[in-house]
Amino acid sequence: MNDLKKLAKAHAHDRILLFIIALLTGVMVIGQAYLFVAAVDRIFLQKYSFLEVLPVLLVLLAVMIARAGLTYWSGRTGVQMASKVKRDFRQSLLNKYSRNPIQASFQGQSGQKVSVILDAVDEIDSYFSQYVPQVIQTSVVPLMIIGTAFYHHIYTGIIMLITAPFIPAFMIIIGLKTKKKSEEQMDEMAAFSGRFLDILQGLTTLKFFGRAKQQHEAIRESSLNFRDATMEVLKIAFISSLSLEFISMLSIGIIALEVGIRLIVFESISFFTAFFVLVLAPEFYNSLRDLGSAFHTGRGSMGAAKKVSEELTETEQVVEWGDTPFRYTDKPPVIELKEAGFRYKEEGFALKGISAVLSSNQQIAIVGRSGAGKTTLLHLIAGLIGPTEGIIEVDGRSLFSYEEAGWFEQLSYISQHPYLFAGTLSDNIAIGTNEAATRYEIERAAEKAGIQELVESLEAGLDTAIGEGGRGLSGGEKQRVALARAFLKKPSVILFDEPTTGLDLHTERILQASIEALAKNSTVITVAHRLHTIRNADQILFLENGKLIAQGSHEELLAGNQEYRNMVASHRGGIAQ
Amino acid sequence: MNHLKLVIKEIMTEKKDVFLSVLFGFLAGITAIALFGSSGYLVSKAAFAPPLYTLAFLIAGLKLMGFARALSCYGERYFSHRATFTMLSNIRVSFFEKLEPLAPRIFQKYRSGDLLARIVGDVESLQNFFLRVFYPPIILLLVFLSTIFFVAFYSWWIAFILFAGLILTGLVIPAWFARRQKKLDSRIRESRAELSTDVTEFLYGFLDLKIYQKLQGKKQRLHDTSNRYIAEQEREGKTAMFNHSINSMVSFTVSWFVLAVGAYFVTAEQLDGVFLAMLVMISLTMFENALPMAVLPGHLEDNRRAAKRLYSVVDEESEPNTIIEKKLPAGQALSLAFQEATFTFPGEDRPALKEVSVDLPAGSKTAIVGPSGSGKSTLMQLLLGVIRPDKGKILADGVNLSEVEQENLWAKINVVLQENHFFYGTIRENLLIADGALTDKDMEAALERVELDHFSLDDAVFEKAENLSGGERQRLAVARAMLKGERLWLLDEPVSSVDVLTEKTIYEHIFSLAKKDTLVLISHRLTGLENMDKIIVMEQGEVVEAGSFKELMEKQGYFYEMKQIEKNVLM
Repeated sequence: MNDLKKLAKAHAHDRILLFIIALLTGVMVIGQAYLFVAAVDRIFLQKYSFLEVLPVLLVLLAVMIARAGLTYWSGRTGVQMASKVKRDFRQSLLNKYSRNPIQASFQGQSGQKVSVILDAVDEIDSYFSQYVPQVIQTSVVPLMIIGTAFYHHIYTGIIMLITAPFIPAFMIIIGLKTKKKSEEQMDEMAAFSGRFLDILQGLTTLKFFGRAKQQHEAIRESSLNFRDATMEVLKIAFISSLSLEFISMLSIGIIALEVGIRLIVFESISFFTAFFVLVLAPEFYNSLRDLGSAFHTGRGSMGAAKKVSEELTETEQVVEWGDTPFRYTDKPPVIELKEAGFRYKEEGFALKGISAVLSSNQQIAIVGRSGAGKTTLLHLIAGLIGPTEGIIEVDGRSLFSYEEAGWFEQLSYISQHPYLFAGTLSDNIAIGTNEAATRYEIERAAEKAGIQELVESLEAGLDTAIGEGGRGLSGGEKQRVALARAFLKKPSVILFDEPTTGLDLHTERILQASIEALAKNSTVITVAHRLHTIRNADQILFLENGKLIAQGSHEELLAGNQEYRNMVASHRGGIAQ
Repeated sequence: MNHLKLVIKEIMTEKKDVFLSVLFGFLAGITAIALFGSSGYLVSKAAFAPPLYTLAFLIAGLKLMGFARALSCYGERYFSHRATFTMLSNIRVSFFEKLEPLAPRIFQKYRSGDLLARIVGDVESLQNFFLRVFYPPIILLLVFLSTIFFVAFYSWWIAFILFAGLILTGLVIPAWFARRQKKLDSRIRESRAELSTDVTEFLYGFLDLKIYQKLQGKKQRLHDTSNRYIAEQEREGKTAMFNHSINSMVSFTVSWFVLAVGAYFVTAEQLDGVFLAMLVMISLTMFENALPMAVLPGHLEDNRRAAKRLYSVVDEESEPNTIIEKKLPAGQALSLAFQEATFTFPGEDRPALKEVSVDLPAGSKTAIVGPSGSGKSTLMQLLLGVIRPDKGKILADGVNLSEVEQENLWAKINVVLQENHFFYGTIRENLLIADGALTDKDMEAALERVELDHFSLDDAVFEKAENLSGGERQRLAVARAMLKGERLWLLDEPVSSVDVLTEKTIYEHIFSLAKKDTLVLISHRLTGLENMDKIIVMEQGEVVEAGSFKELMEKQGYFYEMKQIEKNVLM
């Protein structure tokens, strides 16, 4: 709520405009009543001729049209303000996520973040497009009406002044009561409303067990229970508007009575004044009541706004890059980790005190049990996250003193689940390089990665649409597309997160051969799950609980480290044998 | 529109509530008009200083009408909402009745998992149909016509103006809005879908975007897509405001004409001036009933689309009524056979299964292995009769499965799928699905076999069993299949999330229960297959090898190599 208020304040320009529109609307509301009463008065009592009243009537028509126009203008301003806010919010979220993103994919919260960018931002809309204009309107128009009433007939003004607070007071009391009641009913309602989906999702199971037919009754019963629970809550809401209606009816009645008595018994006011305040009174109470419904829509936005601002205030660990250009040579760079470590927020160390030299053109295997910090180390070496302690040096300078683009230009990262973008197969391979790749180069890369067979089986070949909305590829095929990206890019450093489960034989063979081929001109750093990868490595980094407990070749580690021996022994020959 | 007829049919089953909503809606509208009309009359009358009792009488009447109006509003809201929710219940039931015979085959057609959530959402969105589309025009018509009838006693001309107002606000303007709305809606949905794709790619593909230096470009693109979407939303919001304002402007203008024409008649002495205020007040109040007409086209379009989407799911899809009433013999193990079965998923060009021929004799134990995407689960779905082969046959006990009544086939199978559904309720309720006549003792014994005896039958199962771990869900599914006690077992990765020792125990229990039964086991892991009669190795929809564990290992072919890789993989 407060976040939204602050934001709304930031749009002072729009608020001032809305305020002016509200003032004008107030003038039109009062003017409409005044002119209408004046016209009736002149025709009916003063016995003017039609032509004499015509100017009044024409002005009245203009006022009425202007009033409708002002409603549009006010709504339009609200909608525009909402657009601006949504644009800003989405922009800040995007900036935030693109600065500080790897943590997000670490924690597997991508789905939730998609919903924040899409839905939560959308839900903020009604606060600005409806609630704010209505609040401004309600804080201006009734005041102007009450002022007019005081001016024309002070007693009406007094009655309005006394009765008006009953409406918001009642609204608050009932709102609190509804809240309690609906919270009570919430669980029940959720249970009943979920039932239909539950049965639909279980329909296959029910069919296999021959129990689908009996579910009609369960659906009917839960739907009707849901209806009854909802009606309990709605009834309170309806009664609340009933009582608001009563309050305004009663108030208008009192005004009418007072005016009537003065008009008839004491003959102390004119027909004009009496009629005028009687026409104004409903406008006064309606305007107060509208605030209630606007408040209701506004409240829905507040939850969404809270979600968005929580995301925005989340602390971030930004990686700052330097401006030293990265020098390309035929020789891959030397990467050195000096007491490097990483911790995510306050959650304790994921990695601590890692020191190692990864020489040019070496094959490095990172080994350890799950949760040992292998992938975090890979991200650290990639420069996707910055070390929270220690330093990473590349060719003798801090990694982060280089230009970001230069570093990534010669790096490939093949993850366990490479992402395919919406586009053609060819586009997805070409994403590997920033330079425009020729069709020939892409075909060559595809061939090296062993996807020519797949390409040939597809009608559109390399131009087949894949990714979201396109054709699905199997896990093995995705791995090979990622390999093709690397073949096209020809990087000097390759980071490879080896799949934990067995792929198809074809892909397994290709992976092995491709990594060997790529390793000829590059440093390959692999989070290794396969014994042959580990055996072939020039250097193994053996991690346990975020610490580097041993490094060396497979033979050295087997000879020298008990833990390593245990791990290899317990897995050799597969599981459960 | 045809689909909305089905919805209207459901509405009409709730005649009483519909009648009461319309009645109270009408009363609320007409009392408001009476209230404001008579207050206009009252104040005009009062100008002539009538006797006090007239005033007292009129004010009392006014009060009464005020209360009647507030109460009618309450009644209208109450009954219309009740009718709506009852109607939703009817729609759910009738939709389920249509969907049930088509399941589970129909789920194959829609591979996206959100079909069901969409069905639920579409049903929910139909709640606006009665409230915002169906009955507001009825009220509008009733209130307007009776008011016009009343006004005609005072002036034919004014009655005519009001009638013109009815045609404008009730017919012409909504029709105009409806046309604009259609274009707008499709553009908004398109731009939203585009944004959704971009956001998903941005976040899920982040790592690749970052490494390949495409992040800035993607961000810029996302930014543009978002702005386009917001611009469309803005256009929609402005249109809604515009519709609203046009509607009230027309209402004001009609009332103004009432005033102008009335004024003219008063000066021409064709109308008593004491009625002038009343007539204008009536007109102003009457048009409040036309306000819902501004939002009607939008809701109509929404509901039309929801109903269309909803019923198109169950519309088509009537099975070619060939002979499908054959029955399988009861109480015996069945043999199974694939004869050159080929199957391609709709919209794919590569077949998921290519000319697969396999024989599984009655009482045999078969394992199907192969990498993910090799067609193992497709094979299982064919056996379950959920999908039918495009070419070739699947036989059970020598009978073509396409000719067997599905319910009859399913009644003979103990099935465990990769994803098994459990219902909100208790463990007992979920096990009783297997067989309603089970005793607690039977069920407890089954829980023990799958090492779930730390659960009691009364323990709660949440929606989608999210309070159970993946392994626990799998074990519960195995227990449920065991309790069914039929003679054909189809198990699709039944214990993939269970630790090795438990896996072994459960397999032992299954095999001792299934000693004389036919059993088909799909497995990603290659462990524990030594005692199977036959292992079928699949790749890319084809059987590449088949034989016993010993035969395959001696052959040193595909299975052997897969086994070597599995040994090679360190978890």
